Amino acid sequence: MSRIHDMGGLHGFGPLEIESDEPAFHHEWEARVFAINRFLLRAGWYTLDEFRDALEQMPPAEYLEASYYERWLFALESLIRRKGVLDVPGR
Amino acid sequence: MFQVGDRVRTRLMNPAGHTRLPVYLRGRVGRIEYLLGTLPFSDQRAAGVRSAKEAAYTVRFSTRDVWGADGDAHGSVCADLFESYLEASE
Amino acid sequence: MSHVHEASGSAANRVKTLVGALEDAHVLTERELDASIEAFLSRAQPANGGRIVARAWVDPEFRRRLLADGNAAVAELGIDLAHWAPVKLRVVANEPGRHNLIVCTLCSCYPLALLGPSPAWYKSNAYRSRAVRDPRGVLAEFGTQLGDDVEITVWDSTAEVRYLVLPQRPAGTKRATEDALAALVTRNGLIGTALV
Repeated sequence: MSRIHDMGGLHGFGPLEIESDEPAFHHEWEARVFAINRFLLRAGWYTLDEFRDALEQMPPAEYLEASYYERWLFALESLIRRKGVLDVPGR
Repeated sequence: MFQVGDRVRTRLMNPAGHTRLPVYLRGRVGRIEYLLGTLPFSDQRAAGVRSAKEAAYTVRFSTRDVWGADGDAHGSVCADLFESYLEASE
Repeated sequence: MSHVHEASGSAANRVKTLVGALEDAHVLTERELDASIEAFLSRAQPANGGRIVARAWVDPEFRRRLLADGNAAVAELGIDLAHWAPVKLRVVANEPGRHNLIVCTLCSCYPLALLGPSPAWYKSNAYRSRAVRDPRGVLAEFGTQLGDDVEITVWDSTAEVRYLVLPQRPAGTKRATEDALAALVTRNGLIGTALV
């Protein structure tokens, strides 16, 4: 019916895991992923829609297993490859 | 263009690419709740295409109209939907 | 749990590689990244939500403006909503008999620029799948019980609108200062999984 991200109404994911006093990020690499994405979006390398499209193309079984920022990392890597960000000359 | 209070039905669709119309809200009848003006059309922009802006609306659906008897008796779900997802409904 | 640690270990290495490649290509530096995240986190905090809500509780005119045009009202308080793309802020008010709950079933849309990163549960498969079909069950897991007669509206942020719940002012706070009121507001209250 759709891609795996479209999960409104699905059954079976169980109860919520609610942390108290949760930090903004759980690992340093998560903050880096967040920051790289923010930087590239603001610099216009891609749009938020393209980023979401890249997230949604993660293979379904992997998507369900991955943590939130692992999904972001997957999307970042695939967009950076596709957009040739790393081939660009200096600023 | 729709106006606040208009009854609309979401289209049936099953695109392979990015869309902002979730499966659980396809083919459902709701009411226009709020006019969001025009926004770049996400389905197009996600493909890396420079997209035209399209009118968007907050649409309110009764939970019974979404989930049948399994929905809350008097709750609702609102979603922000592009005009091309919607058609007028009596 | 061990696979979680392994997974984040390899993610950490992949991120290191990525940052190195971006540095080599002169796109950005690690220092710039760290500075940008620090600047972002110092600005985008749940306390912003508390300030907005407290002002709306003490100033009915501000409340009216906030519900009509969230971006403009928040700008009055000197809060900058610019993040990576313009978003529209829509504030929805709880009232006696009416409760609001925010979710993003497709992704994880959240007023990031205002409140900082969302809690992990907000981005979880469980919350994204359940909030739209069983909001009362979700609220109960937060210890938030609403009467059966309370009408719940779930706002699924499917486009470029970011939602914020304006909770009801708690009873017995008539004499509280605006700062004291702001301190009562929690992040969960701004999402709608708590009453304040």
